[in-house]
Amino acid sequence: MANITIEGLCKGWDFPVIDDLSVEIEEGEFFVVVGPSGIGKTTLLRLIAGLESADRGRILLGEREVTHLPPYRRRVAMTFESYALYPHLTVFENISSPLRARKKDRATIERRVKAVAQLLRIDHLLDRKPGQVSGGQKQRTALGRTLVADPEVFLLDEPISHLDAKIRQDLRMQFHTLEELRRVATLYVTHDYAEALSLGDRIGVMGNGGKLVQIGSARELFERPKALFVAEHLGQPTINAIPSILQEENGSLFACAENAALRLALSPQQSQRLNGGAKRRIVLGLRPQHVRPADELRGRDSEIDAQIDIFEALGSNGIIITKAGGVTITGLTHPERHFEPGQDLRLAIDTEALHIFDAETGLSLLEEPRWQG
Amino acid sequence: MAATADIAQANTQAAQTAERWRAVRYLFLIFLGFWLLFTLFPLYFMAITAFKSAAETNLTQPTFWPQEWFPENFVGVFAEPTNFSALVDSFIIATGNTLLSLLLGSLAGYAFARFPRQAGGENMAFWMLSNRMFPPVAILVPMFFLFDNTPWGTDSHISLIILYLVFNLPLATWLMMVFFRDVPHELEEAAYLDGWKPLRAFVKVTLPLVLPGMISVAMLCWIFAWNEYLFANLFVGSDVRTYTIVIPTFTHGSQTLWNLQMAFSLIAMIPPVVLFIVLRRYMVRGLSLGVVKG
Ligand SMILES: Nc1ncnc2c1ncn2[C@@H]1O[C@H](COP(=O)(O)OP(=O)(O)OP(=O)(O)O)[C@@H](O)[C@H]1O
Ligand SMILES: [Mg+2]
Repeated sequence: MANITIEGLCKGWDFPVIDDLSVEIEEGEFFVVVGPSGIGKTTLLRLIAGLESADRGRILLGEREVTHLPPYRRRVAMTFESYALYPHLTVFENISSPLRARKKDRATIERRVKAVAQLLRIDHLLDRKPGQVSGGQKQRTALGRTLVADPEVFLLDEPISHLDAKIRQDLRMQFHTLEELRRVATLYVTHDYAEALSLGDRIGVMGNGGKLVQIGSARELFERPKALFVAEHLGQPTINAIPSILQEENGSLFACAENAALRLALSPQQSQRLNGGAKRRIVLGLRPQHVRPADELRGRDSEIDAQIDIFEALGSNGIIITKAGGVTITGLTHPERHFEPGQDLRLAIDTEALHIFDAETGLSLLEEPRWQG
Repeated sequence: MAATADIAQANTQAAQTAERWRAVRYLFLIFLGFWLLFTLFPLYFMAITAFKSAAETNLTQPTFWPQEWFPENFVGVFAEPTNFSALVDSFIIATGNTLLSLLLGSLAGYAFARFPRQAGGENMAFWMLSNRMFPPVAILVPMFFLFDNTPWGTDSHISLIILYLVFNLPLATWLMMVFFRDVPHELEEAAYLDGWKPLRAFVKVTLPLVLPGMISVAMLCWIFAWNEYLFANLFVGSDVRTYTIVIPTFTHGSQTLWNLQMAFSLIAMIPPVVLFIVLRRYMVRGLSLGVVKG
């Protein structure tokens, strides 16, 4: 049972992939890593597992430095994106492999494998070979092999990405309560932002330059992203990012979309944070949840005229994609409402919830620049 | 109306195509039949010759069925007792060489597959394979002098076991490299993370997956060593004799005892044929490559 401490970790091939990455993950913590494809999430897990050797930096499990230990001395369990199931062994033998490697007695093996297989609902497949089960069942077999291992650290690389929505939901709920996972440190890589927000005690967003751009709770990341990159990566539909210029008029600040008619008044608090800065080029971050038809949202809103481009009725909400003053803005509405393309409507925007990012650096201008939380 | 006509026309066309394909298939079958005759006839002639009398083998008009059966030929070939021990010697040499080729070839193949850069890369592996491309005669005499200067000399099992590595080891290395490459490295990595040490991971995961390929390689090596004549003829002869150098001894001066020669050859065919039959199940999978995908 141990924390994971990573200090100044570097790894690259012909270009740096992980660069000076430091993070500490507590025992029992569920730490989710999100980030775009090819950014180095798998590489980070492989470094912790010992499958890649670090160019620089240290990795500690508890008090023990493992940076140069081979994988079989680290007590780390990992799922592979490709599952890496042993094709010549049955599902049972695959799952029991970590137990057999550690010379557990037959009864224990039988009991633990059965329990895990039941949890993952593959107990009826135990005698099959991996070639004879479906992709989702393979993924669950791989997850099973990881879960039985009783390691100090779990590394889960998109472990439920290929399952159908229902089983995924079920397993997500299981992850919340699963004792194996809650006892030890878990690093969980996912592309699914809902999974990240739901599971992560903390979430680290991995960005260009091989660092964790921001680390924090789901709420923190969602409500106070420190960079446009983070805001764009978390949230569905994606945040509206509108390149704009700050203008001052009668002592208050406005954000005007570049080359377009859209103009939003900023609140006094926001103006204060921005500290003048007129003519500055910014990116306006506007979450779709804060853009609604004017008859639905009331209060401290600015209203603008817009025209419907596309309307999508999803189960729990409706998505409206509109043109307002030459800018495409995505907003939400009730799913039972109906809009026709081309229809005019008034949009209400909750300007209190606006995010403002520097156009050059992409960093938030409203949040304190507190890096590597 | 037009539609019906179209369909009718399409049907005739389909029928014509089917007709043409059937013709092609028959032609192909006829060709295969000839091919079969062509390849099987020597075997057939060898088999019946083994049962003929010495006189019958020398008729100017060959017979395609023995006039009289002489199964005694199969006893006659062992009148010279060293003829039997030659089969044993061949067996020892072929098996010893195969085991050594497999052991060394697997190690080298694994290195080329997993650590290509450290092992010298694809070029190195190909260079090894290219060792099979020169005419063996080119090294016949130098090899003789080389082995003559070793403690065990040329006339020994060990000399041929080692010499045949020149031909079998490159082949074994190259093929094993291909088979190991087909086993995703991630499987071994998963095994390490399960807690298996490298050697155990190799035995538990990699070895079973390359086994069919390995058996095919074993067959190829074994048959090469079993049938080798050129080097054996020069190297061994008194302490050790391979069966291949016994076969010419059935020619005395101007007369060849074809029946005995064929009987002995037939006996010498038994071990490889039995091996083939026993191992065929694994072989076919191995030679069709891409052994373990999935
Ligand atoms: N063995 C390697 N040799 C060279 N480059 C590599 C190697 N392994 C990974 N990379 C590179 O490192 C980068 C990060 O790869 P990684 O697999 O960690 O991405 P990822 O974040 O897991 O992506 P995904 O979400 O698609 O799985 C990629 O650009 C990849 O090309
Ligand atoms: Mg990955």
